[in-house]
Amino acid sequence: MMKDTDFTLRDFLAGRIWHREHIPFDTEIIDAHIKAGHIKVISGVTKTSKYFQQTHYFCRRCENEEQARFTTFQCAKCDGPCAYCRQCLKMGRVSVCTELIAWIGEDLVFANDHQIAWQGNLTPLQKKASAELIESNHQKKSHLIYAVCGAGKTEILFEPIYELLKDGKRICLAAPRVDVILELEPRLKAAFPETPIDALYGGAKPSLAPAQLILATTHQLYRFQEAFDVIFVDEADAFPYTADGTLKRAVKKAAKKDAPIHFVTATPSKQLIVEANKQGAISSIPRRFHGHPLPVPRYESLWNYKQKFEKGKLPPKLVNWVRERLDHQQPFLIFFHHIELMEKALPIFQTIDERIQSVHAAHENRKAHVLALRNNEVPGLLTTTILERGITIPNVQVAVVGAEQQIFTKGALVQIGGRVGRAVTYPDGDFVLFHHGISNAMDDARKEIVNLNKKGGKL
Amino acid sequence: MKECLLCATSLETLPSWKSLVGMEEQEVICERCSNSFERADIKEEGTTLASITSLFMYNDAMKDYLHQFKFLQDIALAKVFRKELNGVLKGKTNIVPIPMHPEKKLARTFAQVEALLDAANIPYLNVLEKLDTGAMGEKTRRERLEMKPLFTLKQEIQIQPETYILVDDIYTTGTTLQHAAKILKEAGALRVEAVTLIRAK
Repeated sequence: MMKDTDFTLRDFLAGRIWHREHIPFDTEIIDAHIKAGHIKVISGVTKTSKYFQQTHYFCRRCENEEQARFTTFQCAKCDGPCAYCRQCLKMGRVSVCTELIAWIGEDLVFANDHQIAWQGNLTPLQKKASAELIESNHQKKSHLIYAVCGAGKTEILFEPIYELLKDGKRICLAAPRVDVILELEPRLKAAFPETPIDALYGGAKPSLAPAQLILATTHQLYRFQEAFDVIFVDEADAFPYTADGTLKRAVKKAAKKDAPIHFVTATPSKQLIVEANKQGAISSIPRRFHGHPLPVPRYESLWNYKQKFEKGKLPPKLVNWVRERLDHQQPFLIFFHHIELMEKALPIFQTIDERIQSVHAAHENRKAHVLALRNNEVPGLLTTTILERGITIPNVQVAVVGAEQQIFTKGALVQIGGRVGRAVTYPDGDFVLFHHGISNAMDDARKEIVNLNKKGGKL
Repeated sequence: MKECLLCATSLETLPSWKSLVGMEEQEVICERCSNSFERADIKEEGTTLASITSLFMYNDAMKDYLHQFKFLQDIALAKVFRKELNGVLKGKTNIVPIPMHPEKKLARTFAQVEALLDAANIPYLNVLEKLDTGAMGEKTRRERLEMKPLFTLKQEIQIQPETYILVDDIYTTGTTLQHAAKILKEAGALRVEAVTLIRAK
């Protein structure tokens, strides 16, 4: 029997809960560590009889207990009735007879010699928020950073992260969307050049080395438990985090007991503000780092735009808007509420300029198209709400087609407007809402932006 | 609320009197996903195999479907094509699914062709046994044609001088079906036909 710990295995598995068959280590090594008591084995789905003998399933990886998301079947492996979880299926199926493994041996100890290479300057408001966040970490208290789009939220986190790293703490920076993670990864790697950092998202391979700072989509946190001393949830109000209860549970599960969970967003829900007021602290920043106000949306009616697209026609107002962007060589984004409508509109837009492209969540060239826009190889993109946040393109001009549609909530519109005027060199730009009738959300978003500008202007 | 098995958007189905009394099966995928599959309805005729009927083309949507169904072992997806399978197989007898090697079945935890038939409530006969564990997709065309027998008849199985219908998930070169048909013919089947969910090219 092996008594010694395989440190590579410990480095990988500590803090994780992993599918036994999918772990990148030999079966013999895993078996020996189970025998030696360093690894515990957990049944993937537990089955209990609750509520008058009715079977109740619970997924031990993603903690889903929505019974409709379990499928029961005759399993050839365990030779009988079995059930699996469809919630986290894409990470490798977990069923009653699946074994999950977790590390219970010697703890991971992290280095405390780190370097911070970031040398930018913080505005007084950013500095204050950063200091308040450090204080909350000392008190193990949750903190909400409520800062307008373009306030420089990530920079606020650098100093607090540095302090935690020096204390040997393990940190996770999570966001609901992969785009946000992809944008954060190079910035954090540049800021902390000596720190092992791992970025986890669907399709990314986790490194075997123990990462002290992990960037992850909230989905990836299904695979962690009691791993982190502090978790930051960036863009905490973004889909699907708000709509999916298992993601909120995943964040809690990934945090160690009593570990503070911080939220960072420009558009917090009322509930998030209430919770932060009750148990934690809030730092609010109503002003962009460059000091210029947020662009206020203007309204333009675009009656019956759907029928026009169906007929293969582009409303003249839209044509003019696009032509103006092309004449001034300004990159642009046009938001749509529905993929199909956008795909119908794309060929019509391409008659103005054939280089115009479209992106949506499942689009295979999504990353490439956004990069092309950034590099001025594409003049503009049609997009779904997938690009409503997380991206910065200097001098980008933004239009929303069908701003009255339900999907464009107040938060979504504020975020979309937040794409405009982010760079110091181009602190302003056009933010236009093309609509078939004005919605409450449009008015609410506009009011919020005007109010924030008032608050920010007084400082 | 019921959700589409493929994209998880909620299914807003209006109840009809048939669905209320359980006479009509409810939809399990949304219209958008349903439209992403491309109907083939190809019927090819031959000698060992009198006919091969394929229901769908192998397009991107079907590729994703097969990946989730077979590789991610999402047996719930067996229900997706129950209507279409019923359309060609309902009321037919002597239906024979192409079997999986027992080891592979254990690893996948289910046999996909049987799962498709079970979901469609189509009774079938397990008369064949898989011999080789190699996957078809990993072999070149030449290798496939030169291969030793892929199947054998199960012990104590009597084949009647009747029509048999082989069922498989995907038809690429037809080697698998030809091998199976040959065995059935040699054992006394009068005629062998085949139905596959997908036609790959």
